[in-house]
Amino acid sequence: MPEETSDAVGRAVRVPPPAVQVEGLWKRFGGQVAVAGIDLALPAGRFIGLVGPNGAGKTTTLSMITGLLRPDQGRVRVAGHDVWRDPAEVKARIGVLPEGLRMFERLSGRELLAYSGRLRGLPGGEVDQRAAQLLDVLDLAGAQHKLVIDYSTGMRKKIGLAAALLHNPEVLFLDEPFEGVDPVSAQTIRGVLERYTASGATVVFSSHVMELVESLCDWVAVMAAGRIRAQGPLAEVRGARPTLQAAFLELVGARERDTGASLDWLGGGAR
Amino acid sequence: MSTARLTGILVRLKLSLLRGGLRRSGGRTAVFVVSLVFASLVTAGLLLGLVLLRGHAQAATVAVLLAGVLAAGWAVLPLFFPGGDETLDPTRLVMLPLRPGPLVAALLGASVVGIGPLVTLCLAVGAVLAVAHGAAAAVAAVAAVPLLLLVCLALARAVAAANIRLLTSRKGRDLALLSGLLIAVGLQFLNFGLQNLGRAGGLTALRPAADVVGWLPPASAVAAVEAAGGGAYGEAAARLLLTGLALAGLLWWWQRSLTRLMTSPDSSTLGAAPTRDRSSSGLHRLLPEGRTGAVVLRTLRYAWRDPKTKGAWVTALAIGLIVPVLNALQGTGSVYFACFGAAMLGMLTYNQFGQDYSGFWMVAQTISTTRDAYQELRARALAILLVTVPYTVLVAAVTAAVMDRWDAVPEVVGVSFALLGAMLATGAVASALFPYSIPQDSAYKNVAPGQGTIAWLSLGGGLLASLVTALPVLALTAWLHVSGSGALWTVLPAGAAYGALTAWAGVRLAATRTADRLPEILAAVAKG
Repeated sequence: MPEETSDAVGRAVRVPPPAVQVEGLWKRFGGQVAVAGIDLALPAGRFIGLVGPNGAGKTTTLSMITGLLRPDQGRVRVAGHDVWRDPAEVKARIGVLPEGLRMFERLSGRELLAYSGRLRGLPGGEVDQRAAQLLDVLDLAGAQHKLVIDYSTGMRKKIGLAAALLHNPEVLFLDEPFEGVDPVSAQTIRGVLERYTASGATVVFSSHVMELVESLCDWVAVMAAGRIRAQGPLAEVRGARPTLQAAFLELVGARERDTGASLDWLGGGAR
Repeated sequence: MSTARLTGILVRLKLSLLRGGLRRSGGRTAVFVVSLVFASLVTAGLLLGLVLLRGHAQAATVAVLLAGVLAAGWAVLPLFFPGGDETLDPTRLVMLPLRPGPLVAALLGASVVGIGPLVTLCLAVGAVLAVAHGAAAAVAAVAAVPLLLLVCLALARAVAAANIRLLTSRKGRDLALLSGLLIAVGLQFLNFGLQNLGRAGGLTALRPAADVVGWLPPASAVAAVEAAGGGAYGEAAARLLLTGLALAGLLWWWQRSLTRLMTSPDSSTLGAAPTRDRSSSGLHRLLPEGRTGAVVLRTLRYAWRDPKTKGAWVTALAIGLIVPVLNALQGTGSVYFACFGAAMLGMLTYNQFGQDYSGFWMVAQTISTTRDAYQELRARALAILLVTVPYTVLVAAVTAAVMDRWDAVPEVVGVSFALLGAMLATGAVASALFPYSIPQDSAYKNVAPGQGTIAWLSLGGGLLASLVTALPVLALTAWLHVSGSGALWTVLPAGAAYGALTAWAGVRLAATRTADRLPEILAAVAKG
């Protein structure tokens, strides 16, 4: 946890440098603008949710922050290092679980961890020891010799998380880590992530399930149509509204429409 | 429900599925019409050929073998093209209140509808026409044609039903991905086989094979017609009876598989996870620690486990050996054809990252310097070399042994190594500059739509560049030959050294480009 983030009597506070600092980030695909000049400052040591409807640009943003997609314009700094000028410093410090990209799925779960740990330059013995512990904690020990291609969605997310955690990164980026995951696996993933942030690391994850974000995160950024609509501590973004869901719908401009009299025949049985 | 009514319903279901499939896209309709026209033309040609064959001394040989090939085709068809016919999948009918007996009869009846059965019917008629002489033969033919057709259809259905759990599983789809490879290698053998046949006295050479196949259903039905025409009524009846028994047996097997399928839950994905540690194979202990060892091991595992990569490897290994050796056997080749083996395997290095598909992000995430990229590319080249170096020596030795040119082995291996080095170099550079995606779900798509030009540029340009790069060693070999020098053996060390040097330089060059272009490479290989 940051040491001095608030002060009881409201004096000037010393804030640690943000885990992720984004300035003026743009990305266009042909004529379509996917990310339209966003600025973000994500604090270190927090559980951060990036929320937005489908097509808001969450995946594009996360890909640019993690160095998987080259931005058209803008600057990204992770843990104080520029992602595109100083990739060695950044890549050693981050873990990534992307959405929609495959892994080397013709390897067994254990082989995948052994492979990715060694690519990271960790000593073989250390990799195998950490892999065994991660497989155990994530409840994958029984399937460790099965090919990843034969894993269920929940198991895939878990092995992806294990690969992302193997080198003990400072910042972890997860794109829709709970999408299509059964409740038991989701709880396991949650437990591991909570333990990880409790030790001072930062988790940035994207989702469109508001209840989940509300219960997990202490800091959120709301994205819609390629722009950041709000960012800050959960309570601040939620404001006076009862739930994050309500705040979110208002921020992205999707007000509840009164169906009025147009469907008044609907109501099963009442004739 | 009566069998006849059920058959009618299933036929209509099949026609609706066909219509629905065609309505989905104009392209599919075009493909369907073209294949229909093509199938009609080929069938008409074969039918005409069979009719013309009537009276030829070897007509029976051809007809019987044709029936055998037809049956073999029907037996393997569902293994390579699963999902082609949805009425084939009985698990879709599992919720309906149907008894297996009438269901099997109705399914068999419905399966007669289609292009495949129509072609088979025409060929069956043709085969029988080619051998039927006299009234008795005509009577036998009336029984033989439907028997032949039904045995083929029942065979396909029974094989599919027995393997449906396999076919809809991941392993089955992997098998289907390998079918292209089997066809490619099979065509090579067929080509050489036909060439040999022409020399070995033609169709007469096939007579013994036909004698054996003539007792195997359903080809036995065709042989029965011939026997009836020759007056051997007992033999004809025996052969027909054999075919009928085979049909009954197949139907019984099919029904049994159906009953089992419809009454037991699908447990194909519940199979116990292997408890054996796959990575305990000895190889990884011999490999260096760190990135190099991990990448070599991953590359070799993929060559074995990934159907597309495996297909590319096996094709390269098979054709690289078949072409020089069979040419040598026929006395038409040169001992230098042995370089073909190294060249085929060298081609595997083009588009290395495309073979990773979108999994390349895992590689991209761990490359942050040119040195990382160099280690990655070098390790991939090493994995290829581990197989290619012994393989090149083997191909050279076998070719030399066949042609009795042992003296030429050093120079052939030397030229091969130079060529291999040049291909590893240009392959690495092409992988960095012209990456393209290899879609993982289709056996016949090796380039994503819109990337065809890049693929040709990569392969064509790369091959040309390799030849130019290897030119010094080729020139040295030619000069040593012309000058009549006894120092031809020097091509071996010269070629090996030159190959190693070019490969190193190419990988160095490619590493810089790879490290600079990681997001662009990822975007290119993740397409499709």
